[in-house]
Amino acid sequence: MSRTSIRNKLILSFLVLLLLLMMVIAVINRLTDDYYTAQAISVALALAAGAVFGGYFSRSIVRRLNSLSAVAREISHGDLSKDIPLLSQDEIRDLEEVFASMVKDLREMILDIKNVAAKMEETNKTLSNLSEKVLASSEEIDESAMAIAEGSEQQTMIVQKTSLIINNCLDQMDAAGRQSAQTVSKINNALVKTGTGETKARQTLGYLDNVLRQIVENTKPIYRLSNNVEKIRMVMHVMDEVAQKTELLSLNASIEATRAGEMGKGFALVANEIRSMAENSKQSSREIRRIVDDIFQDNKAVIQALRKSEEDVGKGRGIIGSMVATFREMVSGVKEISSEVTAVEKVTLKQIKEIRGLLSHFETLTRLAQQNFVSTQKTTVGTRNQKEGMKKIVELMQSLNTLSERMMVSQRRFRLRG
Amino acid sequence: MGIEAKYIYRIADNVSIVPVPLMPVCYEGLIYYRGDLFDVIDMGRFIKKEASTLHDDPYIILLKWNAEKVGLIPDRIVGIKWVEDNGGTGAVFNERGDTVKLMTPDGIWKKLAGLAHGT
Repeated sequence: MSRTSIRNKLILSFLVLLLLLMMVIAVINRLTDDYYTAQAISVALALAAGAVFGGYFSRSIVRRLNSLSAVAREISHGDLSKDIPLLSQDEIRDLEEVFASMVKDLREMILDIKNVAAKMEETNKTLSNLSEKVLASSEEIDESAMAIAEGSEQQTMIVQKTSLIINNCLDQMDAAGRQSAQTVSKINNALVKTGTGETKARQTLGYLDNVLRQIVENTKPIYRLSNNVEKIRMVMHVMDEVAQKTELLSLNASIEATRAGEMGKGFALVANEIRSMAENSKQSSREIRRIVDDIFQDNKAVIQALRKSEEDVGKGRGIIGSMVATFREMVSGVKEISSEVTAVEKVTLKQIKEIRGLLSHFETLTRLAQQNFVSTQKTTVGTRNQKEGMKKIVELMQSLNTLSERMMVSQRRFRLRG
Repeated sequence: MGIEAKYIYRIADNVSIVPVPLMPVCYEGLIYYRGDLFDVIDMGRFIKKEASTLHDDPYIILLKWNAEKVGLIPDRIVGIKWVEDNGGTGAVFNERGDTVKLMTPDGIWKKLAGLAHGT
């Protein structure tokens, strides 16, 4: 149905009414010849028709306005469950539609407010729990931050002490490095001296070889003398035997001369002389033997001494040989020690370098620990501020909760459909 | 001790002595010298019960009288001494501070026969 405005309705109704009235007047004029009567009847009819039409029309508008007013009253009491009747097709229809739209918007708004309030309440509860947790966490963070601050302070002290110890260690390592360098220098000197010792020992070995050869050469005449003395002893033995035989012969000659009696006295004298000569020869031989024995003993002692010297020189040669070998081993060992000490020196220098790096790291660590200490103190202050903020948030949450409760109460005043 | 030169046959050395068992201690053994057997007596053990100094390398004084043959091992042989003849009666005289007693071979032999055997 097309929309018709009240004004058009009024004009149209008026025209229809006027047409009907004119038609009635025409009928009346036809029926009646009296003009005035006809005029009076026409006016009365027109007034009556106007009054009926006006009453009807105004009642129609007032009735719809009353209906809207009643709905508005219900709405003012929070009842949004009722629909706005859309009865007309005029300007009041616009009012009804606007009113219905307003009611619809109000419903949606109230629903939204309800939802928002419910969500606010839920969020408020969640936020309240979270706030409590955050508060508890803040306290824990505060305690942890305090502990971290104390730990950082102790860490700073420990790191500083460690730095001091490492510094002392570095000094000692430096001293060790210098000592290693001196040791290397001394080992090199020892190497040179050991090499000199080995050379001297080799020279001594050569000298001892010469002495040994000289002793052997010197021993040869002594051995020849010993052989000659032995030959002399053999000759002396022969001379002893000759003297003994001569003595025996002289004794037997004396005996034979004695048997010859007076005739043999001269021969006995000769025999006695021979015996005396044999005796002298025997004594001389004995003396020579004694001298030769002395020479032999001396020679033997000399040979023994030479042999002893030879053995001693041989032993000395062996000792010097072992000394040379020992010197060689010492040179080898000193070289090994030198290389090892050099390696130790390199390692020590590397350690010093690394410990210096470690010290710089420790200095950085000290700075970081100090910064950490400051940061933890700031964190402590921040967590305290956070706690204060959280307390305020809790208070705000409580007030917000109150507001949401009030909103819920206000929302409950509205009654929606369903 | 002295012995008259007439009893002395020879003085020998380097002669090997062959021991004889079951004889007196002073009896050294037998020697064979130029076709004769001689009984050898150590005079040290015979007189002093001690071995003579020439025991290991002896001069042996060989005696021959009647049919007997004896060899004597002395300490040493002084030599030939001319003394007055006392008839072999065992006279005693001094020679270079030592007391020398003359003995006869028979006396020696008899004394040897009286010694204990088998020791």
